[in-house]
Parts: sequence; C-alpha cells; structure tokens
Amino acid sequence: MSTNDPVNLKQDRRQWLKASATVLGASLLPLPAVPAEPSQAETAPLARSAETQSAARFFTSSQHALVEELSESMIPADSHSGGAKAAKVADYIEQVLRQSLDDNQKSVWREGLRLIDLMSQHYHGKSFVNASSEERIAVLTVLSDNDHMTDLPEVRFFRELKHLTVRGYYTSQIGIHDELEYQGNRVLTEYVGCDDAAPKPS
Amino acid sequence: MDLNKTYDAIVVGSGAAGGMAAHVLTGHGLQVLMLEAGKKLPIEQELRSMQWPYDNPYRGELPPDRHSLSFNEYTIRRPPYGPGWEKSKHLHSYIGDTDYVKNIVVDERENPFTGTNYAWVRARCLGGKTNIWGRLALRLSDYDFKAKSRDGYGEDWPIHYSDIAPYYDKVDLYLGITGVKENLPYLPDSIFQRPTKLNCAEVTLKQGLQKMGRVLTQYRAGVTSDGLKHNQYRSRCLGRGACERKGGCDIHAAFDSPTGLIYPAMDTGNLTLRTNAVVREVTVDSQTGKASGVHFIDSQTMKDYTVRAKVVIVAASTLESARLLLLSKSRLYPHGLGNSSGHVGHNFCEHIMGPSVAGQAKDLVGKAPTLDDGRPGGFYLTRFRNLAEKHPKFIRGYGFEGGSGHTMFPRGTDSHGFGASFKEEVRKNQGSYIGMGAFGEVLARYENYVDLDPVVKDKWGIPALRFHYQFGDNEHRMAEDMKETAQEMFEAAGFKIVHVSGRVLTEGWSIHELGTARMGSDPKTSVLNQFQQSHDVKNLFVVDGSAFVNASCQNPTWTIMSLCWRSCDYLADELRKGNL
Repeated sequence: MSTNDPVNLKQDRRQWLKASATVLGASLLPLPAVPAEPSQAETAPLARSAETQSAARFFTSSQHALVEELSESMIPADSHSGGAKAAKVADYIEQVLRQSLDDNQKSVWREGLRLIDLMSQHYHGKSFVNASSEERIAVLTVLSDNDHMTDLPEVRFFRELKHLTVRGYYTSQIGIHDELEYQGNRVLTEYVGCDDAAPKPS
Repeated sequence: MDLNKTYDAIVVGSGAAGGMAAHVLTGHGLQVLMLEAGKKLPIEQELRSMQWPYDNPYRGELPPDRHSLSFNEYTIRRPPYGPGWEKSKHLHSYIGDTDYVKNIVVDERENPFTGTNYAWVRARCLGGKTNIWGRLALRLSDYDFKAKSRDGYGEDWPIHYSDIAPYYDKVDLYLGITGVKENLPYLPDSIFQRPTKLNCAEVTLKQGLQKMGRVLTQYRAGVTSDGLKHNQYRSRCLGRGACERKGGCDIHAAFDSPTGLIYPAMDTGNLTLRTNAVVREVTVDSQTGKASGVHFIDSQTMKDYTVRAKVVIVAASTLESARLLLLSKSRLYPHGLGNSSGHVGHNFCEHIMGPSVAGQAKDLVGKAPTLDDGRPGGFYLTRFRNLAEKHPKFIRGYGFEGGSGHTMFPRGTDSHGFGASFKEEVRKNQGSYIGMGAFGEVLARYENYVDLDPVVKDKWGIPALRFHYQFGDNEHRMAEDMKETAQEMFEAAGFKIVHVSGRVLTEGWSIHELGTARMGSDPKTSVLNQFQQSHDVKNLFVVDGSAFVNASCQNPTWTIMSLCWRSCDYLADELRKGNL
C-alpha cells in the first residue's frame, strides 16, 4: 500500500468483506451497502447485547476505545500540542450520538466501526486498536483517498469521523488554546491591524 | 397598557424601525404604546458572547431536539415546512443554527408560510432581528434614490439624498458607527467613531484593488467603538472577539433596538411596552375612514384585545407589515388597508447572495496568531458596476462583504486529508485565509409579491403569507459577473484561490427583504408618500423596509432608521397641527 498508488477501494472491499464473512460468519456480511438501508449493526447480536447492557451510552467500552484511537489518528498529538485523545474527542462524539435524533447518522457510526475493523483485519491481520500507528494510518488513507465515494458506508463513516473529530477537537480547550493559540475572547484596548501584527519587544 | 386610553400612537414591532419610531415620538412628548409579538428575552443570557465552546453543553451548536434548515433542505423542500422533521421539537430558519440564537428566531411550524421557496428569517422577541444583525451600516445615495433617472428601470424614490442626509447624521451620532471616510459619491460617508483596522491580507487586497480603481474599506459597523455618553445601556466595543458567532453582542456595543432605542425611550416615561402581542388587524373608524387602533392576540393566553390610538405606525418588518395591511380588510378597504393602488405586497425586492471566493495569502502562512475577529467586521468592497460605465449584461450593482484572519473555530478544516499533516496545516494556515461574498440588488418587480394564503393559518389562527417570488434574469446575470470579478480581484491581489462559488443562495438568504409598501408621489403606483404615510389613510404610517422603492445593493438597516426618524418628525408635527 503506497500512498502514490491509491488502492481501488471498490475492488478491494469485495475481498475484505468476503474474507470477513469466513472469519466472522456470513450473517455479518453487509453486502450490498445502500444508503437508505437500516443499520445491520443494530440487529447484530453483539450490538444488541451491548445496548441492553448500557442503554444510556451509545458506544460499548470497546467501541469507545476504538473511537479514541480513530480520533487520535485523525488529529494526533505532536510536539506542538495534545491530540484528539487528550482533548477527549471520543467523549464528545459519544455525547453527540447519544443525543442524536438522526438514525441514519447513528447507523453510519455503528456500521462504520465494524467496517474499519474488517478493513484492518484484511490489510494487516489485526483489529484497528491492535494495529500500529502506521497500519492505522494506512487503513484511513484508503478511505481518505477515496473520500468522494459517498455511496460506500465506510467512506460515509470516514467523513463523519473527520467532521466530528474536527468539531470536537477545535472546540476543546486543547484545540482552542494549546493548538491554535486563539487570541480572542478577552478585552482589548485597541483593534489590532496589519501594522500592529509585527512582533514587538515587550 | 391601558385599554381605556387612546394613545397618541401605537407602534407595531420593536425592531430597528419600531424602536426608532418609539425613540423619536416619545422624544416629541407623544404617548406611545409599542406592541411586540414575541417575548422580552433575558438577552445577555441568550447571547453569552464570552462563553467558550467547551463550556457550552452542545459546544455552541443547536440542542439535538432542534433543527435548523440547511441550504439543501431549502432547495428540496417547499414551505410550509410541516412534515419531515417530526423528531425535532423546534424547527428554525437557517440562521437559527446555534445555541445562542435558538430562542430569538421563530419556530417555523408555528409561523408557516406557503408558495415559492423563501428563507424567511423572523425574530419574534423584543428588538427583533437587531439582536442578531450583521451590523454593516451603509448609506444609500442618489445613485440609488434616483436609479430610474440613471438607467430607466423602475421608479425613483420620492426623496433625494439631501432630504435624508441630516437624518443619517442623527442616526450616526445617536447610535454610533465605526468606519473610515472614503469620499465616494455612491456610498456617502457617515460620522464615524474610531475605526477598526484592516489586517494584512485585507491590506494586500485593498492595494491590489487600487490598481483596478476599486475600493475596499473597513467594515462600516453599527457599533460604538468610542462609547455613547447619552446611553447608559451600551458599552463601547471591547474588541473581545467571536463577533463572527451569529448572535449579537451581550455588551450592546453593536446596536440593537432595545438598548439603543427602546430603553432610552422608556426612560422618558412616554413609552408603554406590551410584549406577546400578536397584532392581527389595524382597525378603522367607519365614519372617518381613519385608523383607530389595532386588534391583537396575547401569544400565550390567546386572548383577544383591542387598543386605540390617534396614529398607527406599522413597523413589523417588510413582509409582516405587508401581511398586516392585507389582513386589515374592511368594507371601506376591501383589498386591505392602504391598498387602493393594489401595490401592497408587490415590488418585493432584496439582495441576492451566494457568489463568493476564498483565498489564501501565502506570505501569512505560519505567522503567530493575532486577534482578527475582535473587530465587528472585516471589510466592505464597494460597488463598481454601472457607476460611470454601463455593464452590457445587467443593470444596478453589487458589493462584497469579507473578512480574513484567525477565528475561534479555524478556517480550512474542510481541506483534504487527516492526521499529523492535516493538523499542522490547519494550524499554520489558519490566519492566512481571506474570503468575501457578494450582495447584489434584486430589481423591484410588480410580479414579485406576497399575498394571503386562503387556507393556511399560523398558530394564532391568522392567515399565513403566500410567496410569489423569484430571482430574475438580471439577478442571475449579475451573479455570474459576481463570481468572475470575485476571482479576478483575488488573483489581482496575488492570493491563492481556494474556492470560487457561483451558487446562488435561496431567495431570502440576505434577510434584506424590502419594498412591499413602496413610497412614491403617485397614489396609483405607490402605497406611501415620502414620509411613509399612507396615501389612503392619513394616520397610518409604515416605517420599515417595506417603504423602499428599490433595494440598492447596500445593507438597509441604517436607511430604515434614518427614513423612520424623518417620517416620525413629520408625523409629530402633523399631529400637533391637527392634520392627522
């Protein structure tokens, strides 16, 4: 998987969906994926039991851990500031989805989390959480490179993941203050202009 | 409110026009009753201008049980927006998409309308839309008032710039405005307080435009930057930031009608305010043919009231005012009050929006963050079409509003990619973006109009408005030109073009609806005279944007208030003389 040579997602996905069927049982096979289709994850035995266990929360604890890793891959910690994990973006996403009245959005997430693990199994032989940082980036790069293919549920999931991670991160304390060093929301004595922008000795 | 009293004047509406009417008339010593359909909100608690997103339960977004209509939803759905959002407890117009404005804008389902698609933004609360307006405060000129004399289209206004200029001055001084003098004949200067400053990308654009003979000036904001000694309710602008967040200013440096006009009017002791008063009809004395008062419904109890006055002043917003005149049918006025011309609801016009450009000043990438959104606005790029030369494809003009620099929520997050490089790019690029969008004149046409829907009624049983309104060829040709010139100007400034759009937004998007009871000297083709007084009913005045003869391309609020001030001076004088 080289970034210079993007994979053909539509061709590839047949293989990883097929491979997953043999591993996990054919009942999980989400083919063909059509936009209006009710979420199969909702009827899947695993998801159902998780919901009964914790009706108040949207994600199971393992899903929550997966979302933490996914969001961190989207906006990672670097030498400048903390990443999505430190900014508790997964908690934000959990809250949005728990309160959401949009069933379509919910099923995009439920199904997406499952498809991400299938992809990780296909490309690297392990779940996303157990994959290395490089391996995670490789899986997400496949989706990012094909982010125009919005008929595919995993692509819709990737776009949702990016949207909510961006939203959650840049509205967090870490995002606003540490990362962007936003200067506003305080009292200024004078409007700042181009002439004032040059750094002055204090 | 005293139901046994005959007030000197009833003012229907408490926005820019209603507030100004109350201010001027109480100043003349008149006893005024103001009726507002909505509530008096604890507005500072609504706006929370200094709240950090992470301290808000929804990070500033709309609570999940509410929905605000998106552009796509406007294009695929037609009003009334009844079915389809059953899960959402409240449905709002596009502007109602934050936690800070949710109680200011109306619930669309309580206030339905029918007909052609329209992004009709209504704020039913004390102060109306002035609580959340965009603050751009521009004057009109004789290029607008005498536009017909210049290009032959439509009608001239029954006033010259010289008639209204002293009132623009009064509004400037009473409410405060920031800006820079430019000496442009087509965009007269105001009496400005301390101006904001352009940031570096904006200076680059200004310099690029100078070579083309075009003018970029600091955003002329209806904001007091030096403070107002005569007003105890408003602070000067403290440059705090987050002005881009839709939803007003909780220290009232930005003008809003309650703190700027209504509270000072109440301090005179001459103003009575009645909120939750949904006016459904202007009543008429069948002997004299004059307006005698209004019927209103208490929005909470649904109880019906009648109040009397010597003069009725309608200031309910362009479309609501037209609706109220059409609702006020009687034996004497079978087509609605003041409508012998048949022009009430017609000549409906506004500003077309959509075409826009976003660019990047590459030399600003990676620069240390600055406070760019601590200004009430960025810049205004003034009209340049059909001034000296005649454009071959369309008449009239357009200007651009724009801004650049750092914002609390960064620009550029819609770029491709993810991960470490995405994060770094967002950080380094955040201050380098610049963007602008056009506002163009929509021609006033008799064929664009509103009337009453024969079936659909609002929550209070009042017939809903029905729209027959669309942009025409002139607007669409103008929009093509907007897109081309936007790109051309950003290229001239040396910006990297990030995005260019020619997409026209839904009718109504500018929230500048105008013209539904236009002024004129001929009672056969106009509803009001030059003092916004009904040709038919001498003690009826309509003092909001509905009086406009054309839309011009400048934002209307400052003109609405200046015209209203002039008309109310005349009204008070006429009342004193016994002519009403």
